Amino acid sequence: MRFSLRCLASAVAAALAVTAAAAETVKIGAAFSLTGNAAVYGGQQKAGVQLAVDEINKSGKLPGLTLEAVIEDDATSKEQGIAVFQRFINRDKVSAIIGPTLSTTATAADPVAQAAKTPVVAVSNTAPKGITDIGDYIWRVSLTEAQVVPSALKAARAKLGFKNAAILYGNDDVFTKGGFDVMKSSLEQAGVPILEIQTFATKDRDFNAQLTSLKAKNPDFLMVSALAEQAAGIVTQARQLGWNVPIMGGNGFNSPAFIKNAGPAAEGVLVGTAWNKASSDPVNQAFIAAMKARGNDPDQFAAQAYTGVLVIADAIKQSGGKGSRDDVKNGFSKVKDLPTPLGKFSFLPSRDGDHSAAVQVVKGGKFEILQ
Amino acid sequence: MQQVINGLFLGSIYALFALGYTLVFGVLDILNLAHQAVFMLCAFTALVLVGNLHVHMLLAFPLAVLAGGLLGMVVDRVAFRPLRGRSDSNISGLISSIALATILEAIGLQVFGPDVERFPFGTVPDRYLKLGDAVISELQLVIIAIALAMMAALTFLLKRTRLGRRIRAVAENPLAARILGVNVDGVIAASFFLSSALGGAAGLLFGLAFNNVSTDMGRAVELKGLAVIVLGGMGSMPGAALAGFALGLLEVFTVAKLGSSYRDAVAFGVLFLVLVLRPRGLLGPAALREA
Amino acid sequence: MSLEALNDLWLTYQSTVAFIGLNGLLALSVYTTLSCGQLSLAQAAFMALGGYTSAILTFHTGLPFAVVLAVATLVPSLVAVPLGLPVLRLKGVFLAIATIGFGEVVRIFFVNWDFTNGALGLTAVPQRTTIWMIYLALAASLFVLWRIRGSRTGYALEAIREDEAAARTMGIHAAAYKLSMLVLGAAFAGLAGALEVHYTFMVAPSTYSFSRVVDMLVYAVVGGSFLFYGPLVGAGFLTLLPEVLRELGPRIGLAPGPLRLFVNGAVLLVVILFLPRGLVSLPDRIRAWRGERRPPRAP
Repeated sequence: MRFSLRCLASAVAAALAVTAAAAETVKIGAAFSLTGNAAVYGGQQKAGVQLAVDEINKSGKLPGLTLEAVIEDDATSKEQGIAVFQRFINRDKVSAIIGPTLSTTATAADPVAQAAKTPVVAVSNTAPKGITDIGDYIWRVSLTEAQVVPSALKAARAKLGFKNAAILYGNDDVFTKGGFDVMKSSLEQAGVPILEIQTFATKDRDFNAQLTSLKAKNPDFLMVSALAEQAAGIVTQARQLGWNVPIMGGNGFNSPAFIKNAGPAAEGVLVGTAWNKASSDPVNQAFIAAMKARGNDPDQFAAQAYTGVLVIADAIKQSGGKGSRDDVKNGFSKVKDLPTPLGKFSFLPSRDGDHSAAVQVVKGGKFEILQ
Repeated sequence: MQQVINGLFLGSIYALFALGYTLVFGVLDILNLAHQAVFMLCAFTALVLVGNLHVHMLLAFPLAVLAGGLLGMVVDRVAFRPLRGRSDSNISGLISSIALATILEAIGLQVFGPDVERFPFGTVPDRYLKLGDAVISELQLVIIAIALAMMAALTFLLKRTRLGRRIRAVAENPLAARILGVNVDGVIAASFFLSSALGGAAGLLFGLAFNNVSTDMGRAVELKGLAVIVLGGMGSMPGAALAGFALGLLEVFTVAKLGSSYRDAVAFGVLFLVLVLRPRGLLGPAALREA
Repeated sequence: MSLEALNDLWLTYQSTVAFIGLNGLLALSVYTTLSCGQLSLAQAAFMALGGYTSAILTFHTGLPFAVVLAVATLVPSLVAVPLGLPVLRLKGVFLAIATIGFGEVVRIFFVNWDFTNGALGLTAVPQRTTIWMIYLALAASLFVLWRIRGSRTGYALEAIREDEAAARTMGIHAAAYKLSMLVLGAAFAGLAGALEVHYTFMVAPSTYSFSRVVDMLVYAVVGGSFLFYGPLVGAGFLTLLPEVLRELGPRIGLAPGPLRLFVNGAVLLVVILFLPRGLVSLPDRIRAWRGERRPPRAP
């Protein structure tokens, strides 16, 4: 009698424990620019995160845990970014945060997470400085401009053989400015003289004056560090001025929105990328197929956001599978050669991402890998 | 040379926008800060006509401009008319136009979304003219021409037609005009129609020129427009036109010589200096101190 | 509700509470010039000056926060003097435009100043502001305004507001009063700027745009610019509104961003057309509408 009562008691306790464990939800906060100047990237990022979360939950990769993505709009604004981060940390009690979309927003919001010991995975911040150096809770999946631009430049030089160059960049955004710094130093290191440098502000729409001035110096090659909206305007106006110089853009160009808005003017533009869409890697192909099945032709930003969730899930698994904030953070350093659409992924000691980059050219209205 | 073309091109749009501003100011002594919202909505109207309804630009242009004019009359009715009798109508008119601008921008944002839109390719033919080693596109020429044509039309209207005379009468002295039998409210409504039609046209042309239509396009131009009318002389139409071109040229050459960081600073620096040193601007009336 | 739940609620919404206080202070800074009939839209520039000064001091000197705040309040006040002298002579709308111009010039200056990282601004500013500090500053400012209200200065300001020419003939030195109100407003704005920078971890030119000034103006007008505490009501109401709308918007199928903007504009329009003395005059208006006779409150 007593024996079976004890049996019953422990059985009930075990059942309760199992149900409790099965009901365990791990929240991931995703802060993306769904409105504002960076909204062209945010939609894709949101889709990437949602796909990854659904797939991981279905696959049972994390037994006993259910991932839940809490997605909010940072409105491409620092103030909103901070507010959203605070809500994630204090109200939703997320185990990790993905985002925000722009490096500029990140420099303001990430310190909040660092102070609250909540891990952040940057999936689209590519400013070389000022992101992961905020602290040990800030990690990054997206390759920085410093990782992508030099090799892209080398490939371009090998193909086009230009002798001098000029640069146009946005001086009021952390990413475009960081990108400029890298472009400048890469050109200098490659021994290519820079004939002129011009700037613009994110709100500008008229680039004729700057382009005319640059054109007058007659450089062989133009590097542009801009976000997609301005990128489209710059390229269009350059062609309208009758200037057919080869143009290479930074990560801001990496969006189908750029091609859509620039139309025929986008043909021939070169862009370094962290994601080789044409890669035949099965993980990559599966990702593309799954996204398309949901009605989304994915871009680099979707791939990186998707990878961000994969990395968090792997970190949880590697650190014992409970899903607390420190589990995630400690798990990151254990992520090694994780298969992702971006390739085999690991973190560098600097908490930046490590995988190989590629160079694209716009052909026939689409991004194609440069041969 | 190319820079001169760039400057004139930019300037023509500024001038067109500023004309609308200064017309209302001349008549009502009020700054209509909802002007930039009309600027923006007109561009979107044209976008919808051309993009979604596949109307040819030749037809879409007058339609959108008409819509702009009508919207301007709504602005008058809602934001300015109710305040007509009040003593502080200058400031309260300013504030109510800001309120209406915000509302219109919100509507635009809700209906059209925050993304930048573009006119479909091929809306305007893509041909160029070469002048020495400068290039001017057919689009740019057309825009400058339209701006000049509208300015000329406005001048003709004001100087030679009955409506024009009435407008000038109300601008001079509304009370006297009313006593003389002029339908003051009607004339004001007409001025708003004209002013907003011009502003709307400017928006449409701006959207075409830079192939960039978004709900915050009005903000950028709004403040520049202020600089232009102050420089030109508040209430002076030739002044606004002249100042518009001047600012366009000034901006472009500042960018070429000093770098684009100072582009906006120039506009506002000029604004400030003019107000402090010569408040009536280039061609404005003399009395501007505290009455 | 458990203590922990309350604590979480506080942590989540403390930024809203903080911003109500800050926006209140900013609204008061617009009010000071409105109270003598001048519309000055340079407040964002003064705020920027206060914010940047405080950030620079925090980074480059070890001064205690109280000193930093004091200097940050002083700098814009000093700048207001050479600004005010030429500009306050201008008539209504022109004054507004001139101050807008000034505001933009200051913003562009900061965008281009490499010492403060130009457009990117300074980040990782240590958070030295607490909610208590904000409300203390607010209370102090209210006290100052209250004292002015009841004094001779207060009456002089009102006279100027009603009819400046008449006031001058009565011997009121209008120019001096207008200038001192501008300076006071600049002080409030500078203080708010410094407090805000040390609350949001950062200072950047984009915070100090024309739309910020418009917001401040809206607080003051909606609240009511005839009573000195009116702007506070406006600030509180309009800071809370987006938070409420954020929850409500998606439920009625409207995006929160445009909805907030729309409501801001609509509230302002309704107030300026029908309730020109602001929300604080609502009780009086209701009473009047109901037909009750009651001595009008001294404004």
